[in-house]
Amino acid sequence: MKKTIEKLTAQQLAEVTMKNLGADVYAKMQATTVAVAGLGGLGSVVASSLARAGIGKLIIADFDIVEASNLNRQQYFLSQIGMKKTDAMLENLGRMNPYLEIDSHSIKLDSKSITELFAQADIISECFDKPEAKQMIVETVLSKMPQKRIVCASGLAGFGRSNIIQTQKLSPKFILVGDCHSGIGEGVGLYAARVGIAANHQANAIIEMLINEIGQENNE
Amino acid sequence: MSSLKINGKEKDFGEDMPATVSALLDTLEVDQATVVAEVDGDIIERKNFETTQLSAGQKIELIRFVGGG
Repeated sequence: MKKTIEKLTAQQLAEVTMKNLGADVYAKMQATTVAVAGLGGLGSVVASSLARAGIGKLIIADFDIVEASNLNRQQYFLSQIGMKKTDAMLENLGRMNPYLEIDSHSIKLDSKSITELFAQADIISECFDKPEAKQMIVETVLSKMPQKRIVCASGLAGFGRSNIIQTQKLSPKFILVGDCHSGIGEGVGLYAARVGIAANHQANAIIEMLINEIGQENNE
Repeated sequence: MSSLKINGKEKDFGEDMPATVSALLDTLEVDQATVVAEVDGDIIERKNFETTQLSAGQKIELIRFVGGG
């Protein structure tokens, strides 16, 4: 029989995470709020990677429900089909870290709700599927929320070509991940593997930004 | 000389210099719904593409998005 750990107290989990990250990084992660816009193949992975990295708070938003066709790439389970993605994600994140603070919004984001709901976020992760929605959030953040940092993704369909998925720093506050041209289309689908590479580029870029800031803050 | 610097590359339009951001995107055959445009460092909102005039020598940054996520 495998021995399972039923419960870890908040303090026990904090100690383990702090030991893993170091006290400075842990404190920085804990003090950070990241908004994840869209909980599909990108967002379900970004949220999970940040939750495991000890992020303090997530603001998650998606209007959709979990469907069978999502399971090829999105981090949900058969038993969650029919659930709101926000509820399914809350359940899954809670199994990774029950002490993570999460604001969840089951709505279709638009320019107005983004500026309202993400006002408290330090960094926004664009994890939409449709190119028009990606355009909308990037335009909104760059023009209406210029103090925010945004990490978006474009060009992650298909398979193989792992090494052309890149993280580009377009400005100090704007990071673009992906190969910039592989969109979904006839005969080109999405795979957990390649979408996941892009999603973890996003999560990794967010972690890097935060850790780099620690050095800057200490020099001030 | 009627050229624009688009994503870092000089592009000469000769006699057919596009007058607006919208006209530029049409010339480049870019779907307006999927592009974020910056002119001389300012983000131009999509609703203003048609009314934003361009003049030679300006720096244009275009970020195009494709589907999938």
